[in-house]
Amino acid sequence: MIEPPITTGTAAASAAVPRARRWGELGFIGVILVFSIVALVMTGTIREPVGSSNVLGARVLPYVINGFMLVTSIAAAIAVLRGDVGAPENSEDLDHDAPTSWRTVLLVVLSFASLIVTIPYAGWPVAVTILFAGASLALGARSWWKALIIGAVLGVVTYVVFGELLGLSLPLFGSAW
Amino acid sequence: MDSLNLLLEGFATAIQPAYLLYAFLGVLLGTAVGVLPGIGPAMAVALLLPLTYTLDVTSAIIMFAGIYYGGMYGGSTTSILLNTPGESSSIVTAMEGNKMARAGRAAAALATAAIGSFVAGTLATVGLTFFAPGIAQFAKTFGPADYFALMIVAFLTIGALLGGSPVRGMVSLAVGLFLGLVGTDTLTGQARFTFGIPNLGDGIDVVIIAVGLFAVGEALHIGSRLRHSTPPVRPVSGSWRSWMSKSDWKRSWKPWLRGTAIGFPIGSIPAGGADVATFLSYATEKKLTREPYRQQFGKGAIEGVAGPEAANNAAAAGVLVPLLTLGIPTTATAAVIISAFTTYGIQPGPLLFENQSALVWALIASLYIGNAVLVVLNLPLVGLWAKVLQIPRPYLYAGILVFAGLGAYAANFQVFDIAVLLLLGVIGFFMRRHGYPVAPMVVGGILGPMAEEQLRKAMAISQGDPSILVRSPVSIVIYVALALLLIGGFWLRRRQARFEAAIPDVDTTTIRAVDAEIARQLGRD
Repeated sequence: MIEPPITTGTAAASAAVPRARRWGELGFIGVILVFSIVALVMTGTIREPVGSSNVLGARVLPYVINGFMLVTSIAAAIAVLRGDVGAPENSEDLDHDAPTSWRTVLLVVLSFASLIVTIPYAGWPVAVTILFAGASLALGARSWWKALIIGAVLGVVTYVVFGELLGLSLPLFGSAW
Repeated sequence: MDSLNLLLEGFATAIQPAYLLYAFLGVLLGTAVGVLPGIGPAMAVALLLPLTYTLDVTSAIIMFAGIYYGGMYGGSTTSILLNTPGESSSIVTAMEGNKMARAGRAAAALATAAIGSFVAGTLATVGLTFFAPGIAQFAKTFGPADYFALMIVAFLTIGALLGGSPVRGMVSLAVGLFLGLVGTDTLTGQARFTFGIPNLGDGIDVVIIAVGLFAVGEALHIGSRLRHSTPPVRPVSGSWRSWMSKSDWKRSWKPWLRGTAIGFPIGSIPAGGADVATFLSYATEKKLTREPYRQQFGKGAIEGVAGPEAANNAAAAGVLVPLLTLGIPTTATAAVIISAFTTYGIQPGPLLFENQSALVWALIASLYIGNAVLVVLNLPLVGLWAKVLQIPRPYLYAGILVFAGLGAYAANFQVFDIAVLLLLGVIGFFMRRHGYPVAPMVVGGILGPMAEEQLRKAMAISQGDPSILVRSPVSIVIYVALALLLIGGFWLRRRQARFEAAIPDVDTTTIRAVDAEIARQLGRD
């Protein structure tokens, strides 16, 4: 049996798609950079109690840390511009040659976000069913009824184990109506 | 002698049936979750945290010890049985272990990993038993400035060494430190960066930071480029009693001991975590192994599994030394453990051995027990772990999301935390995608507020004179050590990167040919 060669992430990333990766990383680091400036401005609005005898007030560390965030993100942006593009993290289940499926990412995010509504309004078991079915279908599960059944079982089992046996207060039904 | 007595008392506690059960459960769940592809030890510990929320302190800590060792060990099974590169600390194991599996020797690779982990874990726990009380005693003389220096060491070494790119590690650390700022300032009572949201007044729970970055971020990252066929799982054959031949034992025991000697000290200093230890052990074994076995390196040498696996587990115990005696986390897993401790009102640090003596020694005793459970459990259960690896990936990652949601919700029973978790998960996704290590962010989030507190204490003592930070001999020594650690760490990183780039891929025929060649040479001698 001939094994397929193991492709390492670094080699694939530096050769194949540097342009898109570069802009992607610049966008990400740009957000952090802008955020650190916003945070620096916000630091000035932290109330410092008048005449407090504290040697180190509430603003000192925020200035230092946000300044550090600004400096490091500028350094990272320069590194990217000079051609040092970050290699994506490896994992057993990752296909480095596959194009990014933004649709999957969005659907998984939405499935997870559904918990915010479903836990208070529909209760824990139903919330888990919806999250599990939504996420697994987004990730490529073929059969929707299997996803629903596994999700429901998982929801009930986690409710019984964590809610009943371990005593965490998970809502069985929606109560926030 | 004193610590031996205390240890015996610890055993007396930990051996009680209820506590034994928790240790057993912890190891079982820790391994099961650690085996799952894509889940490292930090994520395993963070995901299983809700299980311990309602337990009493001692049970929770004992269960934690099991989860920690189990999660640490679980990763090696994954890398031996799956033919894909995984997380960095198991890359070395994958190099030789996976090739052994391809040549039909998966059982021997798993056995040497399991027994090596047991030997190394036990010896390293002995090291912990004898060194920790002394270090704690010494650390009691540290002032706030010295602690601040230690935290600077933790920040900079973790930021610079824990990923492939120092600049990106520092960005990650900075964002983590920012997350630590969010909430009400403990000293002045002022709200900082709460954006007017009352829920943020108490700050962001570190468990939520860890679960968001690790679990949700990982699920999104993998979801974006999911491999559409499950990678083949190597079969494990035969009864587990016959897994290691006489020659395997002969070839393994020295690497086990050497791996322990390398892993324990490296784990107890902040030098880049367990993967540095595994790499050093691998390089050592490659150098010290004699012909005819030496030619087998890169093609399934058992020494290359035995040494690094021992080093990995010894490092895991080593990490507990600064964690318990100084309260300083040196890895992301340690940061999660510290945050778990603080939820029980336990403050790790030099006073822990005095104030909570019974608890600490019960914890250390259960580390010994956990190690024994690990080896007893893992050899017979390996068939089960192989099945776990075959879970269809859509269900696996959907399941991880369910437990992430549970962990976040159970922290405070507020859906607001789910939203924070999701936001952090999206940040974690982009960090992974662009090569920003997430571990420094987790460490920054937990250690940042602690560093601010020590800095304030120091400045209060000196009445605002910052030179206090570098005045005491201890802090001077610590800053010098920081410089040495960074230089040594970068040198090691460079070597490791060159080393990994130079590994050629070999096909199964070559692996078998080398096997046959060794047998022929041995037969002739």
